[in-house]
Amino acid sequence: MLSHVPQAVEAYGIALLNRLDGMAGLREGLRRIAADRGDWAGIPMPMSDTPLVIEPSYPKAAELMAIGRNAEPEEPGWTKVNEWYSRRRRQSVLIGRDLAGKLHWGYSGAVHHGGLELATLGASDAWGIEQEARAVRLLGTLVRHRQFKQYLLTGMFIERSPRSGVHYLFRKLRPTLALRESRDDMRILCALCLHPIAYYAGSWGGGMCPTDDVIAHLMLMRGDEPMFWRRANQHPPYRSEAGL
Amino acid sequence: MTGSVGILNVGAGDTKLSFDPNNLAERIRACRIVRDMLRRGYALLVEVTQPDGTKAYQRALDFREDTAEYIIADFDPGAGEPQTFINEHEHEETGEAATDRAAAASPKTKPPRGRPRKAIPAEGVRAVAVARTAGG
Repeated sequence: MLSHVPQAVEAYGIALLNRLDGMAGLREGLRRIAADRGDWAGIPMPMSDTPLVIEPSYPKAAELMAIGRNAEPEEPGWTKVNEWYSRRRRQSVLIGRDLAGKLHWGYSGAVHHGGLELATLGASDAWGIEQEARAVRLLGTLVRHRQFKQYLLTGMFIERSPRSGVHYLFRKLRPTLALRESRDDMRILCALCLHPIAYYAGSWGGGMCPTDDVIAHLMLMRGDEPMFWRRANQHPPYRSEAGL
Repeated sequence: MTGSVGILNVGAGDTKLSFDPNNLAERIRACRIVRDMLRRGYALLVEVTQPDGTKAYQRALDFREDTAEYIIADFDPGAGEPQTFINEHEHEETGEAATDRAAAASPKTKPPRGRPRKAIPAEGVRAVAVARTAGG
């Protein structure tokens, strides 16, 4: 809580936000259940259009992930034989066999990340302004003033690891870029994508509000850099998932 | 400064635990939750003062509930000898068990693998807890 804002004013503001936010009731209900169950990091909110991918050891992960997914997947009419990524075309090449046994091939995915952008916009219904505001306040206590200002104004900030010398560009709702200084230039090593507990499939959104994801990246980098690399998905910079 | 733990939370925003020595109930609750979080695989990043006076975050390897201390890897080359590690484990045992173990240990016993560990009182530091990750 900000020290110069009276408690009653802040409570009124939160109540007003919750009245305007259609998902606030569900969020509050999940918060109470999580507190009763001892889920200290809360329960991720299932969405009807954007399926959740939850860390497998999380309690009831399979049941939560089943919400919003089709119970019976449609019969595709063909089976996948092989798939690989073409750097030249910036798309996946797919080879499949139809029911008659004939082979077919084609390209899958788009060269842009418009789909990921729209899915991320859809996932934003799960997060609340109050939660994001708390995360921003916490981030403000963890970084230098210049970094915090950069984050507020551009949604990203950079920090160099004293151990490895790698620079990390932490970005809101995008994977963190690992950069290596070479001569007068910066070379992108990869984009590190990681979400605590859960993320929404096909988006850049995690179960936690965007700034909490940034804090998780920052803290894991500072506290245990090898673990950060081990746990994160490492996307090459030319893939659309890298968000470049 | 009162030690605290900020837990990144999905639904409630960040929640905070406090190791306030004047609030025993909250301190006991915080100890239990921290121990439980480590059991569940959370990463607990603790702000530790380095030998050169700067502050850096390190991951807690364990937590002593009775004394409210984080156990971290000791990166100080001067202070960290394997003997420190052995003494810390003896501290946890009862007097009789520790004596038996010390008597049985031969001088040629190999030191334990890995870095030595040290205890950091939770009352004086702040930490951030990050739940297990689902990749991305």
